[in-house]
Amino acid sequence: MRVIEIKDVYKIYRETEIEVHAINGVTLDFEEAEFAAIVGPSGSGKTTLLNLLGGLDYPTSGQILIDGTDLSKLKSSALIDFRMKNIGFVFQSYNLIPVLTAKENVEFIMSLQKWSRKDRDDRTFELLKGVGLSERANSRPAKLSGGQQQRIAVARALASRPKFVLADEPTANLDSKSAATLLEIMEKLNHEEKITFIFSTHDARVVKTARRVITLEDGKVISDEKVK
Amino acid sequence: MIFKIAWENVWRNKTRSFVVISAVAVGVFAGVFLLAAINSMVVQRIDSAVNEELSHIQVNNKDFRNSSDIQDIIPDFERVVSLIKSTPGVTDITGRIIIKGIASTSAKSVGVEINGIDTGKEKEMFTLSGKLITGTGSYFATETKLNSVFIGEKLAKELNIIRYILTPDAFSVLEAKKIPSFVISKLKPLSGQRFTSDKKFKRACETLLAPSESAKYGLIIRETAWSYREGSKIIISFLDINGTQTGAAFRVCGIFRTNNDLFELRSLFVPIRELRTLTGMKEGQFHRVIVRINDNRHTGEISQKIKENLPDYEVLNWKEIEPDLAMMADLMQQIYALFMAIILAALAFGIVNTMMMAVLERTKELGMLMAIGMNRKKVFSMIMLESIFLSMVGGFAGMAIAEAVIAITGKTGINLVKYSEGMEAIGYSAHLFPTIEPQFFITTALLIVLTGIFSSIYPARKALKLNPIEAIRTE
Repeated sequence: MRVIEIKDVYKIYRETEIEVHAINGVTLDFEEAEFAAIVGPSGSGKTTLLNLLGGLDYPTSGQILIDGTDLSKLKSSALIDFRMKNIGFVFQSYNLIPVLTAKENVEFIMSLQKWSRKDRDDRTFELLKGVGLSERANSRPAKLSGGQQQRIAVARALASRPKFVLADEPTANLDSKSAATLLEIMEKLNHEEKITFIFSTHDARVVKTARRVITLEDGKVISDEKVK
Repeated sequence: MIFKIAWENVWRNKTRSFVVISAVAVGVFAGVFLLAAINSMVVQRIDSAVNEELSHIQVNNKDFRNSSDIQDIIPDFERVVSLIKSTPGVTDITGRIIIKGIASTSAKSVGVEINGIDTGKEKEMFTLSGKLITGTGSYFATETKLNSVFIGEKLAKELNIIRYILTPDAFSVLEAKKIPSFVISKLKPLSGQRFTSDKKFKRACETLLAPSESAKYGLIIRETAWSYREGSKIIISFLDINGTQTGAAFRVCGIFRTNNDLFELRSLFVPIRELRTLTGMKEGQFHRVIVRINDNRHTGEISQKIKENLPDYEVLNWKEIEPDLAMMADLMQQIYALFMAIILAALAFGIVNTMMMAVLERTKELGMLMAIGMNRKKVFSMIMLESIFLSMVGGFAGMAIAEAVIAITGKTGINLVKYSEGMEAIGYSAHLFPTIEPQFFITTALLIVLTGIFSSIYPARKALKLNPIEAIRTE
């Protein structure tokens, strides 16, 4: 089932006299439960593409359809609401709310969506178990390692069963052991939850784990390989 | 969850929050306590006015207050009293004769208002008899060959019947009051000297004592040296019912001390039967009916009812007799709200500054929150709640401290002896017992919440203008 359709999308920045074509006519589709990595040198447009997919920015032209909904047609407030319900985010750093515990961070999105207490608790403990951090449920982020924080971020991103999860360089600040553990967990959850994962990454370990690798250069897709 | 995040965010930078909370607490404490002190002045003044000087309601002949003519008596007195008694809320009534006259001794003469009173009834209705200075008499209790008069301390001083003398007994009293012996020995040159006013005595003491000693012990020394020979006489002269100048010698049966210098100077009280004899006024002739009611809050309604029943008489309540005092009492709530609003507006700048720092420090975090789906309304609410919590913690701490200090000083009092002369000249006590109505705290709480809300607007707008993409990338 097609979750994301990107149709001839351009993103042109005109902040100075020089135009910057960050995305130059990209057309891509993503199916349910895909585990895809977007790679490319710095300035290739990876982050811009992720921002467009995440509804954090509007394309200059073209369409991005998420489950049939055209993001470019949504107003700013509707886009925020759409993001909350349909898209999960894992950032490179600073994912978690420092004043909430791990459990509260995971259930944050669900509380914004007004889930019942029981449903929130059930889903939270299921995810904490899934990322192997049930015993750290009441710890604040400051008491967790970088890898543990990223695992909680993944649990948070999956909490409300979004259509897909966008992960922007999630392993960039982690040591190799933590990165490996994180990837293993994300792959496991990808299989269990059947939720699409899309990474933007320089990390070879992520590329190796991904089942599809899309290479960008100068805002264009230069290769799109299903590797597994 | 937003409440929890906002509350926890207040304590993220404990030092900074503590500084702001302390500033708000001090500001609120200062405002509440100052208003309590001012309120106590007003409350005490009203209490004095009603219970010592005016009572709740007065009824006169329509022309009497302008003319002060002895002939302007209350017509049909019995009917008037009967109508007033039948008014709901009225608890007690008495009649007075009121004559303008002159009180004099060999030293001085002073214009006075002579009140002929039913001494027993007035003792029940007023607290003035309780203001009798110990050692100056017994308030009409002792039989005397001469007429009796109850006068104020200010009048007694003016007529030079009060002295300041440091007798051997006075020195013993000073020792008993633990005045240091070196201070007492400095005062020995004044032993036995009579001073006819406290100003002269005070000046004499100040030439012998150091300024710090005068400031610390001066009041106790003056109170100890205060002297009055019981049963001193004064002459009171006035016009009788026929317009003939007349007068008599009166023995002072007591001196009262209130907080109102003018009242003490101008008002004196004599038994009504003695004044009738001297003026030639008949039984049943009165110039004024004094009315007490059960609840001061209903003064307006009850006096209006009496006015409707007695359209041909002048019926006045204490608010109409002293409109400036009534205005102070009525405006206290508004004065308080304005005063607190000014203090909190100043404090708001500090809160705005703190909230701006918090927003700028958390740019990345706010970007992340907006990215994952926290809408603008929730972001605004979160920042506003943080600001409100900051204000409320400081505000409630300030109110709690103020309440505790008011409870203590409300019992012990604050003695503004340095300003007593000026304050008592306009009828206010220099010994304050701070007091505040509970609704003042409700007003304060509301103002504190409003301060939090208004202080959050600018920082929250700054936060809403953040672009999540740029915010997340902030270093």
